[in-house]
Amino acid sequence: MPKFTLDGKEIGFEPGETVMQAAWREGIEIPHYCWHPGLSIAANCRMCLVHIESGRQMAMPQLVFDEAAGEYVPATKSKLQPACQLEAADGMVISSTNDEVKTAQASVQEFLLLNHPVDCPICDQAGECKLQDYYYEHQGTLKRKLTEPVHKPKGVRFGPTIVYDAERCIMCTRCIRVCDEVAKDHVLDMRERGNRNEIILAPGRELDHKYTLMTEHVCPVGALTSQDFRFKARVWFLKSAPSVCTGCATGCNSHADYDPRNGKIYRLRPRDNADVNKFWMCDDGMMTYTRHDTDRLLMPSVGRGDARLPVGEDEALILGAEKLKGVDGDKLAVVLSAQHSTEDNLALAKLAAALGAEQLYLAALPSWEGDDILRNEDHNPNRAGATLAAGGAALKSVAELPADVQSGSVEAVLALGWATEETLEQLAPLLALDRVVSLTSHVGALPAVASVAIPVADAFELDGSFVNAKGMSQSFGPVLPAPAGVEPAWKTILNLARQLGKDLGFESLESLRQGLVDAAEAAQ
Amino acid sequence: MEPADELLNEQAALELSEDPMRLNMGPSHPAMHGTIRMVMDLDGETLVNLDVQPGYLHRGFEKSCERGTWAQVFPYADRLNYVSPMLNNVGWALAVEKLLEIEVPERCQYYRVILGELSRIADHFTCNGASAMELGAFTPFLWLLKVRDWVWDILERETGARMTHSFGRIGGMAEPPTATFKDDVLRLIPELHKVVKETEIMLLRNRIFLDRMQGVGILSKEQALSYGVTGPVARSTGIPYDVRKDHPYLVYDRFDFDVPVGEDGDNWDRFMVRLEEIRQSVRIIEQAIEQMPDDGPINVDDPRIVYPEKNAVYTTIEATIAHFKLVMEGLQTPKGEVYSFTEGGNGELGFHIVSDGSGTPYRVRVRPPCWYNLAASREMLLGGMIADIIPTFGSVNMIGGECDR
Repeated sequence: MPKFTLDGKEIGFEPGETVMQAAWREGIEIPHYCWHPGLSIAANCRMCLVHIESGRQMAMPQLVFDEAAGEYVPATKSKLQPACQLEAADGMVISSTNDEVKTAQASVQEFLLLNHPVDCPICDQAGECKLQDYYYEHQGTLKRKLTEPVHKPKGVRFGPTIVYDAERCIMCTRCIRVCDEVAKDHVLDMRERGNRNEIILAPGRELDHKYTLMTEHVCPVGALTSQDFRFKARVWFLKSAPSVCTGCATGCNSHADYDPRNGKIYRLRPRDNADVNKFWMCDDGMMTYTRHDTDRLLMPSVGRGDARLPVGEDEALILGAEKLKGVDGDKLAVVLSAQHSTEDNLALAKLAAALGAEQLYLAALPSWEGDDILRNEDHNPNRAGATLAAGGAALKSVAELPADVQSGSVEAVLALGWATEETLEQLAPLLALDRVVSLTSHVGALPAVASVAIPVADAFELDGSFVNAKGMSQSFGPVLPAPAGVEPAWKTILNLARQLGKDLGFESLESLRQGLVDAAEAAQ
Repeated sequence: MEPADELLNEQAALELSEDPMRLNMGPSHPAMHGTIRMVMDLDGETLVNLDVQPGYLHRGFEKSCERGTWAQVFPYADRLNYVSPMLNNVGWALAVEKLLEIEVPERCQYYRVILGELSRIADHFTCNGASAMELGAFTPFLWLLKVRDWVWDILERETGARMTHSFGRIGGMAEPPTATFKDDVLRLIPELHKVVKETEIMLLRNRIFLDRMQGVGILSKEQALSYGVTGPVARSTGIPYDVRKDHPYLVYDRFDFDVPVGEDGDNWDRFMVRLEEIRQSVRIIEQAIEQMPDDGPINVDDPRIVYPEKNAVYTTIEATIAHFKLVMEGLQTPKGEVYSFTEGGNGELGFHIVSDGSGTPYRVRVRPPCWYNLAASREMLLGGMIADIIPTFGSVNMIGGECDR
């Protein structure tokens, strides 16, 4: 592998790679604003200027003040190159820290802050802003300009999700490129030049494609802010935990940012994964966190309609077990969930096997609009995992369940999850059955028709895994603790089995996972 | 109720145990300086064995430093030796500045010297006054303590607080000297001399004072060295070690002053060394006032270390960012570790700091001078009388806030 030297460190590179790219791969950051590993190269911010110390030196003329002579005299200085556009060559020696580069970095930074508004106290980006970081690292001087800064539009609505502040903008064009190259929709562009530069919408358009939040995500400063996150939280109070998006079968990797003080998730951010989502997530996926604290089922309950009564957790387990006791396995329908983790589904499949149930159904959300970027038509994160958990057995659709109830082939139902394509009206025949037990994290049609509903943890409170459409199993940990008294579904199922006097062959998540590995091997 | 003595059998022979009596003193005892416990074995009134147990004032100082920024350590440092907080403040500032490899402007260095020496004067007067009081001489205590009030008047005018100033800053001081600073200090100096003279008149020819101080609580030079004792206690044994002289910091190498040493290492020598050090501090202050420039910057010129002016913070983005970074993340230090030491009120006050390159100390270790003095106090007390514990321990000047941290 050819190598170049950056600040005394040898870095290998693939031919054709830029200096920035190779350094980034090695985990070395050359200061930059406009370069993004997932976007094309613009080389317009000039922050990544470096000095090529090897080879023939390119010199630029400049005037230097000569104290003795009392006048400016001609001199030269090195011509610096933007590292993001500089193709690496074997044996190249590059400095990103010598005096000339430091001067360039400080000057670029000073120029960028020349007309910047004093917005940090009210800016959502404060605390994760590159202008702040690089000011501290590379500038560290106070303002020299005494005149009023140039004023530009603030609080411009770009669309339903994004607000733009032209004064904060450093014109790196990352948002334009993300629209062009990721969303394939040239809806943003730039107008004017110099001081008057600003990002604008295409005439007659709004920023309303499926990846608008990525413009905010790539914005290195606070110019683009998301309507959803705006003024909601200060980032230095947020903690971050890795998670996997529950929006569709792509299974984009995300960071869930939550405030540990109130246990609330405030936003998702894409987590880089070259094999799944690269650097991106879609808008709907970014917003899946809102489901976490919306329409949650927190209290176990027994009965239906007006007669539904809240009960304690232990009582709910006993009552749930009573409903399932003595049911003929042939007449028991077990509903797996494409929204729940593979582990949850596996535990349920094991219970179904222990009870002799052979009629397995799959509850899933209806498909949504897919595209060839990230969005999969399957609106469920774990259809493949649920199928795997069932041991490859054919899973019936929940749509067939009402008919099976009416025909008398189903007399009892044990259902996981809330997500169904079917409405309450369509599931109404289940109300005729006395034995319908629902394990669910949220309210929905299935819990509504259940005679016993037991709350379980949702994907943000769970140690589990999803199998995406490509067949990749991606595990994730709990972001937040589950509400008091609420357990993950696999644990609730285990407790239910104990009430029923059944041994499911696992006692912990580890032993359950071993079962999963076995199931996967058996399927091969 | 029956009187208790009726229960005694007066015919029985009075039996006195031959074993030493074990007695606890402290941790909360009116005669103890600070919360410290002494477990002693007494043969009559003579100490045959002694266990000095510190730890009752442990605040977790060093651990607390690991969760704030570098600048947030100042209030903790104030409360180390709280009799001379300014010396701790400056000590901490110098340690971080050593890590940052910066030097504060000359004016600030003189300012630090003068404020520090004033604190040392207050510290020594307090200790000596207390020593006298512990021998029953209450008047000298009040006469000496009034000096502390005068010093604190000046420190209050300069810093806004009489005792816990939190006035030091990394890269400078919180405020420049006030316009009347030099005059205030100069006006105090004759008064200081007067009180030193008065102390000598009151105490140095007092038979009781002499008998209780001379030849009591002796620490040999060898013991002092082996225990790592520094400061006035070490100097009283004849070790001429003074950080200001031997490893000059700030601008101490520009002053002409002497390091007083004793011969016997007894209470008397410790008292006299402190008394003389007050005179030497006054000499330093006089020279520093003369040399200190009247204008010029107090803080280093780097908004990444020192807070920019409030006015600039409110009106320019650069200062806003600098302020934000310093508040939210703290000033960033290079990776590494340093040991920086200064002459505190009780001896060598050292800060060993380890930085992982972030805005928060990775580890802070304080070398508190009186920790070592305290360890050596057992040697001073053993074989002495129980009544001598009080003045001897007073002259060791153990400060709980510094010793236990």
